[in-house]
Amino acid sequence: MTDTVVLDPYRNVPRARRQLWAHALRAEWIKFRSVRSTTWSTIALFVLGAGLTTLVCATSAAWLASGRADESVASFLTWGMMFAQVGAIVLGTLAVTSEYGTGTIRATLAATPRRGAVLAAKAVVLAGTLFGVGTVTAVAGYLGGNAFLDAEGIGVPVTHEGVLRALVGSGLYLAGLGLLAAGVGLLVRHTAAALSIVLALVFVVGNMVMLLPGAWGEWTTKLMPGNAGSGVAQVEPFNPLLLDPWTGFAVFSAEVAAVLVAGWLAFTRRDA
Amino acid sequence: MIVAHDLTKTFSGKAAVDRVDFTVEPGRVTGFLGPNGAGKSTTMRMVLGLDRPTSGSVTVNGHRYVDSPAPLREVGALLEARAVHPGRRARDHLRVLAASNGIRVSRVDEVLELVGLTAVAGQRVGRFSLGMGQRLGIAAALLGDPPVVVLDEPVNGLDPEGIRWVRHLARDLAREGRTVFVSSHLMSEMALTADHLLVIGRGRVLADCPMSQFVADHAASYVRVRSPRRADVADVLRAAGLDVIRHGDELRVCGLDTAGVGDLVGRNGLPLHELTLVSPSLEDAFMTLTSSSVEYAAHRQAAGVTP
Ligand SMILES: Nc1ncnc2c1ncn2[C@@H]1O[C@H](COP(=O)(O)OP(=O)(O)O)[C@@H](O)[C@H]1O
Ligand SMILES: [Mg+2]
Repeated sequence: MTDTVVLDPYRNVPRARRQLWAHALRAEWIKFRSVRSTTWSTIALFVLGAGLTTLVCATSAAWLASGRADESVASFLTWGMMFAQVGAIVLGTLAVTSEYGTGTIRATLAATPRRGAVLAAKAVVLAGTLFGVGTVTAVAGYLGGNAFLDAEGIGVPVTHEGVLRALVGSGLYLAGLGLLAAGVGLLVRHTAAALSIVLALVFVVGNMVMLLPGAWGEWTTKLMPGNAGSGVAQVEPFNPLLLDPWTGFAVFSAEVAAVLVAGWLAFTRRDA
Repeated sequence: MIVAHDLTKTFSGKAAVDRVDFTVEPGRVTGFLGPNGAGKSTTMRMVLGLDRPTSGSVTVNGHRYVDSPAPLREVGALLEARAVHPGRRARDHLRVLAASNGIRVSRVDEVLELVGLTAVAGQRVGRFSLGMGQRLGIAAALLGDPPVVVLDEPVNGLDPEGIRWVRHLARDLAREGRTVFVSSHLMSEMALTADHLLVIGRGRVLADCPMSQFVADHAASYVRVRSPRRADVADVLRAAGLDVIRHGDELRVCGLDTAGVGDLVGRNGLPLHELTLVSPSLEDAFMTLTSSSVEYAAHRQAAGVTP
């Protein structure tokens, strides 16, 4: 047999020797950018969010200015973000389930076996991107929509109470939604299943519980993640029965955190 | 070096890997051989920390892989199932893995060149053939220039030229002093690649020995002798100190060639109907070894039913 030579595992690969969390973060960022599904979902999020806000303001401006409207003008300024939620949920789900669906998760964890590091990197890339894209989308929608309102003389200045909060809040809310979807993805590991669960939770169950009778119905409605979290993204609430923006967002954040912790437990304990 | 100790993995009560002990040494190719479902992939996934052992342990260079300070510089692995997003370009896939371990990006181009994928590096992996996918997996395994290389069924889907390439690669890596752990369900493949064999069947180690010893133990040639006076022939040969086994209506004689056996029998005036040198194939030896493990398991289960 051949002589055994002792190999220095670092001989051909200079530079950093220890795997750092920053490496995992960088890897997740390249991963996020290097598939078309994320690019398209991000574009869809922006177009829906900014475009629909602009569109609804353009078509409603005259009616709102006529004085016959029974709706507050300001609540229209982030109207399209209702639809941008779908984009955030898709991005959050795919960040996790596409790895399971394609088997990439095994390559990922073979390269970065510390699963906590992988999950933290994923969460930061996802939340960071959604916060940025969500805020930019909301700002674009506000500028586009408000231009039409201004033309009718009912524009809402950015200094108006709640406008800045709603713009930044849109980014925060979408980031939270993405993390919620990612957490569910870690639990079910299947794109269609995770998407159905989160979309149903936010868009269907959140409205159905309003039909429950009495205080029971009132409180489950207030506490459903979509209802609790979306207030922070609206200049003035569509539904005045819901929690205050920041109270609601605190409840929503706690819910997201709970799902993420459950997902993290599953991720670190189950076989890949 | 990879060391497994009492390594066990059960899936819903059924043992896929059953109290396995082994050591994969550096400087040689260790063939991990077993029929489909024997537990090879499960064992390799446990080496990489992808599956958590039900009990027992497996370490790489003395520690669990999960605790590796620089994973890809320590172990490079090609996993059985394809582990790449079909919508990602081959080069991006490798860039992700390199980035995750702080490996410079120029190394990505090196390994692409090494496995012959440079020309298609910009293509999305979904368009790759099975063989190209395997090459990409091998490129990923070599990214960190690791001293331990784990390849699960690397020749699956490769054309003959690719198979030869993998064989040479494995041998070269071992010659450089690396630990090379290669699985296959084909004995013929292992016979050409491995220095050392670890045979597994139904989750249990059936053989752990140098290739040459496996050949001597399980595929030793013998002389087949047929004679109407079989018992007398057997006596004569045994008296000469040879190993004689009766098998149906033939005798199997080890330790002497056909000429020697013929001379011996002729000197005693006994009739011969057949005198043939038989060299069983390694494939047969492997089949015999693993099928007996299946039988053994079946017997044990049957025995367990009666109180
Ligand atoms: N994730 C899993 N869940 C349930 N059973 C599994 C799983 N992975 C492997 N097995 C079972 O474990 C046994 C060993 O499988 P495997 O390690 O893939 O064998 P090999 O790689 O030698 O063909 C098989 O019976 C297989 O069905
Ligand atoms: Mg296998």
